[in-house]
Amino acid sequence: MSDQMLTVLVWRGTADKGRYIEYKVRGLENHTVLDVVTYIQRYLEPTLSYRFSCRVGMCGSCAMTVNGKPRWTCRSSVSKVAPGGKLKIAPLRSMKIIKDLSVEMSEFFDKLARAEGRFHPTSNRQNDFNHVKPDSVKRRLASDGIECIGCGICYASCDLVAWKSNYLGPAALNRAWTLVNDVRDGAHRKRLNAVAGDAGCHACHSQQGCVESCPKNLNPTASIAGLKRVTAIAVLKGELD
Amino acid sequence: MLADMSGIDTDELPFTSTDVLILGSGGAGLFAALHTLQKAPNADVMIAVKGLLGKSGCTRMVQGGYNVALAQGDSVERHFMDTIEGGKWLNNQELAWTLVTEAQVRIRELENELGCYFDRNSDGTIHQKAFAGQTFDRTVHKGDLTGIEIINRLAEQVWARGIQRLEDHRAVALIKNAEGSSVSGVLMIDMRTGNFLFVKAKAVLVATGGGPTMYKYHTPSGDKSSDGLAMLLRMGLPLRDMEMVQFHPTGLVAGKDTRITGTIIEEGLRGFGGFLLGGDKQRFMQKYDDRLERATRDIVSRAMLEEMRRGNVGPNGGLFITMKHLNKENVRKNFKGMVQRCADCGFDLVSGDVEVVPTAHYMMGGVIFNQDCSTEIEGLYAAGEDTGGVHGANRLGGNGVANSTVFGGLAGDAMAEWISTNGRHSEPNIETIKFSIAACLTPFSKKPGFLEGIRQKLYELMWEDVGIIRDAASIKRAEEGLDSIEAELDETGVDATTLAYNLTWHDWLNIKNLLLVSRTIVAAANVREDSRGAHFRVDFPEVRDVENSFFTKAKYSHGEIIVDTEQVKFSLVKPGFSLLEDAEVK
Repeated sequence: MSDQMLTVLVWRGTADKGRYIEYKVRGLENHTVLDVVTYIQRYLEPTLSYRFSCRVGMCGSCAMTVNGKPRWTCRSSVSKVAPGGKLKIAPLRSMKIIKDLSVEMSEFFDKLARAEGRFHPTSNRQNDFNHVKPDSVKRRLASDGIECIGCGICYASCDLVAWKSNYLGPAALNRAWTLVNDVRDGAHRKRLNAVAGDAGCHACHSQQGCVESCPKNLNPTASIAGLKRVTAIAVLKGELD
Repeated sequence: MLADMSGIDTDELPFTSTDVLILGSGGAGLFAALHTLQKAPNADVMIAVKGLLGKSGCTRMVQGGYNVALAQGDSVERHFMDTIEGGKWLNNQELAWTLVTEAQVRIRELENELGCYFDRNSDGTIHQKAFAGQTFDRTVHKGDLTGIEIINRLAEQVWARGIQRLEDHRAVALIKNAEGSSVSGVLMIDMRTGNFLFVKAKAVLVATGGGPTMYKYHTPSGDKSSDGLAMLLRMGLPLRDMEMVQFHPTGLVAGKDTRITGTIIEEGLRGFGGFLLGGDKQRFMQKYDDRLERATRDIVSRAMLEEMRRGNVGPNGGLFITMKHLNKENVRKNFKGMVQRCADCGFDLVSGDVEVVPTAHYMMGGVIFNQDCSTEIEGLYAAGEDTGGVHGANRLGGNGVANSTVFGGLAGDAMAEWISTNGRHSEPNIETIKFSIAACLTPFSKKPGFLEGIRQKLYELMWEDVGIIRDAASIKRAEEGLDSIEAELDETGVDATTLAYNLTWHDWLNIKNLLLVSRTIVAAANVREDSRGAHFRVDFPEVRDVENSFFTKAKYSHGEIIVDTEQVKFSLVKPGFSLLEDAEVK
């Protein structure tokens, strides 16, 4: 893309009300969507609010809805996501808006905790590391989903999250699945109970919005399918509470 | 309303209290929270962070890994000696010893108790890779995303523990009690509303991360602005080794107004056979060092600066790194994340030339602190990049995350002990609170101006005059330049339509903090008339008098930075000797 004038619609407002405001920005060849948002704040509209941190796709602070799709704005080059020179930028779906493009993500993180998305130790710092072969099936299954950075993109892309507010969502369930496969973890039953309920894995309709949108190319739908399978078996064996 | 705020009735200042208040949510802050609760399970712990918990800060950006002596043939003595040699004998040796010994505990805690899943050898044992400047392969890692693994696992433990999170909260001043003997709490801005808030605490940990983001090219996360160091200075605490700013040779240059400019293009590319090219697309390292592109970070950075100053540059003022002469599949396979990152932003790392510059990466300097992370103020603790002394004049890759997690944990232990014994709530010094609120509100009483222009001036000045190379004349220029930039900032206002999530106000506060910390870098660089580690004086190019090494101590007093020096205590090993021989003889 050569340098061009971009027409940028930016959602501005609070949780209660807001609207799109149009800005004209000269897009440079290497600009990302985050650069465009930053440009507007620095040069055109000093009170524009948004959140970012690492600038390189490692922290997951700067996700927004860009031309209808949730994206990391720091890693989305304008030339790829807006070839026609038109950008429409909004806050992430299914999260409470704080102001303009920044959202409250507490519920998303709380759901990770609710899905028992944390390690429960069976060993401690006095002991050596567990031997785990890197090519063992369980380690590979755990590794498949472990690099999630918690950016909330899958959560925002999931229709079920939008319809059913207590649904744990793809990121939390994906983390639960990596832990189900973690041979070092000691809370297998507790975790299966946490994800087996109404708000858990069986609610997923496998629409795969999460898979299509994940910037890390993870597959939460496959993780959730794994959880469906092990929880179903646990029910048959009478292992759930 | 603003007028009300500056003449604020502090009785009406919103306030809350906690046992332990932690500023920052990187490796140091999160470990401190968990360790506090291990030792004092009923303690109220609160973490305040400028963005989201676990997302702000640089621990999560660690790509290399975690240095720790675990394998047969390695030893804490060897790790210690590598750290001291790397630090050019400026380290506080007791702190460096704590680092290498406690790292052995912390790494097992990370793996066995918190769930980090580090990479294994094919036989299932832990894998340790080679990293620059070390005599043993001791870097534990999770692919090239070690920081993400560590912070994810820490954050999910914190989320599950009912620790109070003050997200989008910016700390603006550390407040002593009325008598001035201990810390009373921290004045903050709730960024979401723009309101001030005072948090009273029995113990406060400063773990905001340093971050040399006052340089035109820098690697740390973009929301960092040396806030912790600036607050510590204003409280009157001494910062050591502030002249020591580490530059990484290859940061991406993407052109004007790009956030990604300055971020790391990984070092492994040069080790793998990557070439550095000038603007003329010719290699140049042969002019500077026989090891070519694989020379040490400081030599490569200085060579690159030399080429840039000769004008042998690309379209954005940088040089180039290229891998195009190497097997494309191997490059794609070995540098998957970096190739993808470049591609997303329009660069071809596999078959193109990617424009790069040396970039400010880490501050070895920071507040003087003790092994238990206490400082000279009772109840005030510090850990991670806000502290100085562990790394001396240079930090080894892989010692950064070890530093933040080791000392963060120790800070948690010490704070738990403190709140269970002597720590108690105390009334804050109201005058300091009023003064700090007024200082923060300064820009609202001025006509709004163009902050970005001021930031660019600061960037250029620090980069040109106190960056990779310095001399007496450039330091003098920087001193005067900072004065004039600060004067300009003080007359530049910010749009006051709303204080809620007003990033431009925070940009103003960020630049204010960066200016203060920049002054300490300049003042310390002026005092150190030799070249060692990250500090290179063209007018004093030699390492001088290592046996009588001193470190710089900068303090802020009555609007001035005062620097004095103190002799380094070689408490464990003297220059010219090694703990290693002793250890091996044993």
